Amino acid sequence: MTSHSQQPGWSRRDVLKAAGLAGLGATLLPGLAACGVGGGERHPNGASAVTGPFDWKAAKGQTVRILQTPHPYQQSFQPLLKEFTELTGIEVVADLVPEGAYFTKLNTELAGGSGSHDVFMTGAYFIWQYGPPGWMEDLKPWIENSAATSDEYDFEDIYEGLRTSTSWDFKVGSPLGSGGQWAIPWGFENNVVCYNKAYFDSRGIKPADTWEDFQQLARDLTDRSAGRYGVAFRGSKSWATIHPGFITQYSRMGGVDYRLDGDQLVAEMATDDAIRFQREWVELARDAGPASWTTYEYPDCTRDLGNGNAMMCYDADSATYPKNKPGASKEAGNLAWHPGPAGPDGNYKTNLWTWSLAMNAASQRKQAAWLFIQWATGKEAMSKAVRGAFADPTRKSVFDGAFKQTLGEFPGYLDTFERVVGESKIQFTPQTSFFQTTQDWAVALQDIYGGDDADKRLRSYAKSAEAKVNVA
Amino acid sequence: MSATMTSAPATNQRDGAPPRVPERRRQLRPYILALPAVLVVIGILYPFVLGAYYSILNYTAANPDPHVVWFANYRSVLSDPQFWTSVRVTAVFAVVATALETVLGVGIALLLNRASKIGGIFEKVLILPLMIAPVIAGTIWKLMFNPQFGVLNHVFGLGTFDWLSKDAALWSSILVDAWIYTPFVAILVLAGIRSLPKEPFEASQVDGASWFYTFRRLQLPMMWPYILVAVIFRFMDCLKAFDLIYVLTAGGPGLATRTLQIGAYEDSITFQNFSRGSTYMFLLWILVFITARYLVSVLGKAQRRAAGAED
Repeated sequence: MTSHSQQPGWSRRDVLKAAGLAGLGATLLPGLAACGVGGGERHPNGASAVTGPFDWKAAKGQTVRILQTPHPYQQSFQPLLKEFTELTGIEVVADLVPEGAYFTKLNTELAGGSGSHDVFMTGAYFIWQYGPPGWMEDLKPWIENSAATSDEYDFEDIYEGLRTSTSWDFKVGSPLGSGGQWAIPWGFENNVVCYNKAYFDSRGIKPADTWEDFQQLARDLTDRSAGRYGVAFRGSKSWATIHPGFITQYSRMGGVDYRLDGDQLVAEMATDDAIRFQREWVELARDAGPASWTTYEYPDCTRDLGNGNAMMCYDADSATYPKNKPGASKEAGNLAWHPGPAGPDGNYKTNLWTWSLAMNAASQRKQAAWLFIQWATGKEAMSKAVRGAFADPTRKSVFDGAFKQTLGEFPGYLDTFERVVGESKIQFTPQTSFFQTTQDWAVALQDIYGGDDADKRLRSYAKSAEAKVNVA
Repeated sequence: MSATMTSAPATNQRDGAPPRVPERRRQLRPYILALPAVLVVIGILYPFVLGAYYSILNYTAANPDPHVVWFANYRSVLSDPQFWTSVRVTAVFAVVATALETVLGVGIALLLNRASKIGGIFEKVLILPLMIAPVIAGTIWKLMFNPQFGVLNHVFGLGTFDWLSKDAALWSSILVDAWIYTPFVAILVLAGIRSLPKEPFEASQVDGASWFYTFRRLQLPMMWPYILVAVIFRFMDCLKAFDLIYVLTAGGPGLATRTLQIGAYEDSITFQNFSRGSTYMFLLWILVFITARYLVSVLGKAQRRAAGAED
């Protein structure tokens, strides 16, 4: 013992203390040296590396990993995956994450610079967030490379509003359709009205064609004591409350979210006309909407429609479509579709949502990933998928061909689609703070629903949104 | 000496004594034993320090090559009315939920302490809410709260009363939290009550003390350390409330239930402003740290008092 303490050098306590400090240093140093900060380096586009004649077997033996959410689109394609493997020799591993957590998972994975999934499902608005940091592969060079893309692919067959909705140059004020092609539209949905035709017929009434008539109709249909209300639409604290029925009708009434003034966006949600419409929308929710409107998401709306509680639902056609399939809901077979109220000038501006397929820029198997995207968004696979619950197809040829044959039991669906599709596009101004400013918009509507003065609340919201979009 | 030591191992092994460890290994042993602890400390500190570091950067999805902005995020967050709303919501939720769960939990524990058949069954049933994940509990209660078809409005004849409206959402969230966690307090306190010595209670009975007097002057002071442990657990947990509230209201309507955790989640994950989210979390950590230090000191005092070391 004594001899130890007399040894030159450190005592055991000193060494332990030093080890502790070294541990702390090991913790601090990489942190302070920015280890783990940032999404990693930008990855070069892989399209130019593909040369020679096009060959479906070019990536034979590889495995492509895809991240998806359990959606009718994914479910319709799942049985077809083996056909892709037979065609290309590429194995597909599909990881499913429920929709509620899907974008959290995807955001985290992409932000971490992980290339563990080669292909992922995404929506158009997400491109505005994932594109600027370089997390997504620009697919335009792939489409234009005849060595990578089959002659039969026919990209132009995809509806124009969809092709432009997934393309942007990320510059404030630039319209959609400029810049790279960041995803390929796979399935899409128009936000229109689905109604309980059986009930309407029993009372001898028809869907409303104007906004004033629509409000009155929804109120007339409401009888809380009978568990029946006029119209279901979303109201939860989320950007997703704004993008279906709300922004569709707002646009039809002449509203826009921002206008460009020089190089700055000016918020337009607090003009007199915009405030009047939003006040009416919230009053409609209070008088003829779901009783717990501020928690309502699309499954709640379509559930109430399917159960016969909601007489109308202003949401995605593809969300209401499955409720009319035999056995899918209490009101299956009783539902029908209508474009919803036209604008004062008769316009049918409609906001669309597209589930698209995108390639992870950090993927190590880009050619295999592109072959999968090309196959899944191609005519043949999509024609087969629409025989399941895949609605709506993004290709005109598939809609006019295989899909129309499935619509016999869906009154008004085809007419509605054809009425709105020419004016269906992303009605939002693209901007990189979309999720924050659009969730703030939903919060403002909830506050008005809770009793805040619409005029004051929307002016305050518009001011804060304008600051955010122009800083970003 | 040296010769004795060299021959010792063989002798010791024959005697059944442990084998002798070489000097070098004996010196290294403390460091090897300390290694797991050091690794655990690094494992805990690394994310913490990285999070603190993020809070002084301008790191967002749109800016993946950040630089140090020092306290700009703190200035921005502390001057944002939404942050202070979140502080108020978090504080109200934590204080009211903890108080409610403590009062109910102690009451239930006292009732269960009186042995009976019903008490025995109730004791087993009591633990059920704790076995349900808060996300699932939130989903179940969200359906029960639904004014259209929820069971609560139907049973209590509340018409279209909206449990998750702007005025009611926070209180409804507290109610659900109490449903899940009151059994936790009850079980913890019940275990404490059952470990108390019997003699002082027998003595007070002999002296003819009333039930209330015995409870107030004897049982409550002796139970106090157990109650405080439950309070510390619940209060710390309530300050970090997220899953249950997020499922019920996502922090709405408006900002009515936006706790600090939900604010941090929105900034970090939904809006991908990682630095601002980290700032929220760091400020929350300071709040939790200070509160924990205070409550632990109160617990120490209560323990000393219960042991008769302090008046």
